[in-house]
Amino acid sequence: MEDNRIEVTSTQFIVVNIGIEQYGIDIKYVDNIVRMQKITRVPKAQKFYRGVINLRGEIVPIMSIRRKFELEEDEITDKTRIIILKPEQQEPVGIIVDQVREVLSLDSDNIEKVHSDPKDEKSKYINAVGKHNGNLISILNINGVIEI
Amino acid sequence: MDVSQYLEIFIDETKEHLQNLSQQLMVLEEEPENADTINEIFRAAHSLKGMAGTMGYKRMQNLTHIMENVLSEIRNGKMTVNADLVDVLFQCLDALEAYLDTITQTQDEGDEENEAIIARLNAFLNGEAAAEPKATAKNEEKSNGEPAEKTKDVKLTEYEARAIKEAIHKNMNVFKLEVYVDENCILKAARAFLVFKALEEIGEIIKSEPSVQDIEDEKFELDFSLVIVTEKDKDTVKAAVEHVSEIKKVIIEEVKNIPDVAETEEETKAEKKDAPSTSVVASTAKTEVAPKAAATTTTPAKTVGKPVVNRSVRVDIEKLDILMNLVSELIIAKNGLVSVSNSEEGTATQSFNEQIEYLERVTTNLHESVMKVRMMPIETVTQKFPKMVRDLSKKLNKQMKLTISGEDTELDRTVIDEIGDPLMHLLRNSADHGLESAEVRAERGKDPVGSIFLNAYQDGNNVVIEVQDDGNGIDVEAVKNKAIEKGTITPEQAEVMNDKEIIDLLFKPSFSTAKQVTDVSGRGVGLDVVRTKIESLGGDIEVKTKLGEGSTFIIRLPLTLAIIQSLMVEVGTEKYAISLGNIQTIEDVPVTDIKFVQSKEVINLRGTVIPLVRLDSILDIEPSEEEVESLTAVIVKKGDKQAGLIVDRLIGQQEIVIKSLGKYINNNSKIISGATILGDGEVALILDANALV
Repeated sequence: MEDNRIEVTSTQFIVVNIGIEQYGIDIKYVDNIVRMQKITRVPKAQKFYRGVINLRGEIVPIMSIRRKFELEEDEITDKTRIIILKPEQQEPVGIIVDQVREVLSLDSDNIEKVHSDPKDEKSKYINAVGKHNGNLISILNINGVIEI
Repeated sequence: MDVSQYLEIFIDETKEHLQNLSQQLMVLEEEPENADTINEIFRAAHSLKGMAGTMGYKRMQNLTHIMENVLSEIRNGKMTVNADLVDVLFQCLDALEAYLDTITQTQDEGDEENEAIIARLNAFLNGEAAAEPKATAKNEEKSNGEPAEKTKDVKLTEYEARAIKEAIHKNMNVFKLEVYVDENCILKAARAFLVFKALEEIGEIIKSEPSVQDIEDEKFELDFSLVIVTEKDKDTVKAAVEHVSEIKKVIIEEVKNIPDVAETEEETKAEKKDAPSTSVVASTAKTEVAPKAAATTTTPAKTVGKPVVNRSVRVDIEKLDILMNLVSELIIAKNGLVSVSNSEEGTATQSFNEQIEYLERVTTNLHESVMKVRMMPIETVTQKFPKMVRDLSKKLNKQMKLTISGEDTELDRTVIDEIGDPLMHLLRNSADHGLESAEVRAERGKDPVGSIFLNAYQDGNNVVIEVQDDGNGIDVEAVKNKAIEKGTITPEQAEVMNDKEIIDLLFKPSFSTAKQVTDVSGRGVGLDVVRTKIESLGGDIEVKTKLGEGSTFIIRLPLTLAIIQSLMVEVGTEKYAISLGNIQTIEDVPVTDIKFVQSKEVINLRGTVIPLVRLDSILDIEPSEEEVESLTAVIVKKGDKQAGLIVDRLIGQQEIVIKSLGKYINNNSKIISGATILGDGEVALILDANALV
């Protein structure tokens, strides 16, 4: 049974598709998952911020992970979702993902830490790789991604 | 005893007392004979001592204790007030402020003993204080060191007996009180302290049992005894004590005969539970115990005869923010209704419209009343200025006086919290750079005492604060030369600049015209910080000056920051809000009227040349392809400058709630001042007209 396998060292991740890769987001950072909605563009903002949305009366900035990772432009489909992340002690921020697949528990045995290469700006976005049923899941380093 | 939960109250109250102390010291300096002032200072020092003691701040307590001794001597006419003494008292005030700062930051008073000040105070005491102990009965008690474990019987020392005797001779009333604190009371010492405070306002406590020190250290059970000399009658005294909450019962009796020294009083303990009782204090009159409720009819406030300082309600700003957010949501809901009624014009019934009108009325009122809760008089900031100017006057060796008017002008709490520093900068500027030395003033035929004025008043939706001095004014030539010397501008640029533009240079970072850098001002970090701060509060600042006659700095601040009236406009397909406060007019500009000056588009509007700002290009919006005959320009102003913002369509006026864009989105260009949520849930951005002009 899935439940029996949960140990103290296991962590739950939300697995999402962005482009051809699978990414895992530690569930403790996830505040909410909402459908794609109209995003108000903010002129002169950083390129990877698509703008802001109204989340129950709160203004939340929305980041395009694809633009941040320098992938091709977002393709908005029925499956596109915005994941609202709420890092500790910080304001919420949303990221656009192509699809939310599942919630997954990974044991620490199946998570391999990767060290970021200070020369490669993009390497700080990922802090580990998880293995699940032969698939590789890149675990997003939330603080690295939303860093100001 | 864990007192940390009272820290906040302690800090607040200490601030109030220090403020009061500072004001009274200013008065004392002017009128050294004013007995009311001396009493007020004494009370403030005493309250501070008690509070510091309760909180366990020994050094602070020690300092205030010695202050109190000195003041007590003055109060009793044993010493006279002179300039030296006032100076030392001001030093005490600074030292106490330093303690408070340290406590605010670290919860601990630090280890500054302020020995120098204490030594000076002691010198005053030893040098001039007569060895008359009766009036300083309270201090006497401490030096007598009566052990705390004595019974509740009031044993009077010879001094105290003599004091009572003398008081009776003078036809003053002497009462003995037995005060019972409620057994559920958590902070007995604080309650006891409040009793002391209340009584000291109407008379003098000459005896307490256990000693004041022990009571302050909470070394007592549920009751304590006091002997008080007062001009007030019994009911007043009783009411004053019962006015303190969590006091269960007060037994009060008049001492008519001179008590024998050290004569014991029969146990009052037995009477604790039942009402009327007779107690035997050296064969005195009867004791009266009235039920608490009955006594409340006499309010102590009336008999005290002094206005209670600053009756403020402390409200957690967070709670207010929540309230504010609720109101915001209400407004959003209202906007939603409005948009529904607009979209289904045919189906909207009359009652539906009435409902909206009603909702609108409610939200506007609610908004107003919440704003009022957030408003504070500017006095809370200006209070500390007289002392500051006094200190500056000494430091700079210039004579000056500060006149403040309109202190009751109210501003939003957030603005009040921020405006103190900029105003302080401006006052320092006026004192240091503005006012001339007494000799120069005399030469110019001015009053040798320089004047600085601080005026605050409301002007429409703005509050205006003016800092004015009758000093030298700004020397435009000096500023120009300095700017050229510093390389801020080139001599060629200087040629074409008008006076106003040159004065504006003063607000540039690292620009100071003071020939000498003093520790008051002149480091060149002043005016640009002032401007930045004021602009971050949504206000602006301008200067008027006349060489030789003085200068005036005029600060304009919005009354409120959270909700504004705005004009909604459309640029391309995007909606933007522009604050109505910035908008002067809206004009239809025929394309043929557009002229070019230095290859920039301008229009000549009723004699004024106004530059046009194409919002679509500034906001990176695809310009519309259509050929139009006329453009819609929203004319906005900032100070004297104007600009015409070209928009595609006007939507209308709307009350909007300002929300921050947060810190993630880089907003270096500052053209967006925030966002708001429209009736349909969509987000619209707010354009900052000030950044566009």
